[in-house]
Amino acid sequence: MVILLNENYHVCTGCALLCDDIEVVIDDNVITEVKTACRKGVSRIKGCNEPMSPTVEGQQVDIDVAIGAAADILKNADSPLIFGLGNSTDGAQKKAIELAKQIGAVLDDTSSFCQGPTLEVIFNETVKSCTLDDVRNKADVIVYWGADPSNSHPRHLSKFSYFPRGQERQRGWEEDRTMITIDIRKSHTAKISGDKFHNIPLQADEEFIDALIDALSGKVPKVPFEYDPKRILELANILKNAKFGIIFVGLGLVYSLDNMDPIVKLMDKLNELSNFHLIPMVGHYNMRGFNQNMFNETGHLNRVKFEKGNNTKVQHGAEFSIVESLNEKKVDAALIIGSDPLSSLPRAVADHLLNIPVITIDPCETFTSRKAKVTIPSALSGVECGGSAIRMDGEEVKFEPIVDVKSQTIRPSDEEILTRIMEAL
Amino acid sequence: MGFGQFLAAPEQKVTIVTYRDIFQSAVMEEGRFSEEYLKLSAVIKMDAADIKKLGVKEGDTVVVKNNDNNGKVVVRVENSGYDASHSEIAYMPNSPWSNALVSADTGGSGVPQYKKIEATVSSAKGESVTTIGF
Repeated sequence: MVILLNENYHVCTGCALLCDDIEVVIDDNVITEVKTACRKGVSRIKGCNEPMSPTVEGQQVDIDVAIGAAADILKNADSPLIFGLGNSTDGAQKKAIELAKQIGAVLDDTSSFCQGPTLEVIFNETVKSCTLDDVRNKADVIVYWGADPSNSHPRHLSKFSYFPRGQERQRGWEEDRTMITIDIRKSHTAKISGDKFHNIPLQADEEFIDALIDALSGKVPKVPFEYDPKRILELANILKNAKFGIIFVGLGLVYSLDNMDPIVKLMDKLNELSNFHLIPMVGHYNMRGFNQNMFNETGHLNRVKFEKGNNTKVQHGAEFSIVESLNEKKVDAALIIGSDPLSSLPRAVADHLLNIPVITIDPCETFTSRKAKVTIPSALSGVECGGSAIRMDGEEVKFEPIVDVKSQTIRPSDEEILTRIMEAL
Repeated sequence: MGFGQFLAAPEQKVTIVTYRDIFQSAVMEEGRFSEEYLKLSAVIKMDAADIKKLGVKEGDTVVVKNNDNNGKVVVRVENSGYDASHSEIAYMPNSPWSNALVSADTGGSGVPQYKKIEATVSSAKGESVTTIGF
């Protein structure tokens, strides 16, 4: 399904909810007010205070010079890395895959160390998923597990899950929906769950899942920590009686497990008894798009290495993740698009980026751009350029730029910059 | 010069779990080099009893070191405010300050332990919050 927008509304690219009901006030091609969006969305749409300039070796240059310098770095690299793209449109992502093939690059994104495993079991149809519109219209039992949307996706509960009236949920949260939060701390989201909050110990998710499966199987649940088995039985009962259940998987759950087997086991059990679905709480607005585009092209979500001059040969594995590529110092140049690995990776991993030539394409200055050899400013998606992206539930959302892109001040899109780098190669 | 300064400051072992904070995320969108971003990022939230053990009070700066001694940052300590006691578990917003403490060793999995950082905390004795530089 492609979501068509009323022309008065805009899409927020602040996160993978891609809220499509944003209104703005524009004065002289500058957005002065943003309505409807959450706090993070308003900041994203209004733009940063530190826009990036085109530079080479710290010197301001014409953007064409920066693009030429970027091409030179990639041309001379034996094993380049391309990373990021979670904040880029589908068009830019497809172009980056083409570029990675052309230069024989390692290509990876943030899903490599966050929601990749969850998306993999959805793409492979090992577990059942659904859309956020299904959740709004049908879900009577909503589980947030290791997730705190009140902070990560502030409009998740009001737009899609707990608070709205839906086609089959006309009495909303007061009567028609039950929301459960399972977490190691009483997050803001957990507070909304009231007595349906399950406070479990750190790294105890797998044991809690096992106990829940026992309870769902009619056995007495046991966990190796202090927990009232009656509460687990009550939870199992709610899940068992769900007409349309949804588990939103947060990073707290993903990071706590060695692999997805416990989640798959739980989903299988739930679907023997009721009707349950899984959606990952994806952060960056188009991380899922990157995974989808990669999956369509290579059969893998992330962590690939292409062979230079051989378009069909692609290797995949943890050794091609950004973390291991940097840990093992296996890459000798990096093209970072819409991401800030010096900020988001462990310092000890990211440090290798200081030893190799780095190119950053981004609308704003980042920790990484300040150490990059070449910086190329790009348009802010959804504000200065249009395109399409994949929402956290797999739905495609198309969007137009908000400001007048004929203005001289508009920067080229990631897609245009990547095209020009490929031409320069 | 008092005798006290020769005594080792009390240390508290903690496992740090990172989390998202909407106010910090919004400020990051505005710019990563602002005072406000530093203020909302360079924070560790601890159990009230653990803070007391360190001999510091809320708002003081503390030194947080990872147990491999690879990383060290000075951040402000705050009471987590959670009703349930969580001694030896601390929380930091996801940021370059928490990432300075995350181990590079992933056992080959490619996934760092962002939500299980083994560290020790002690008083920074008035030292200022670490400024992130590369």
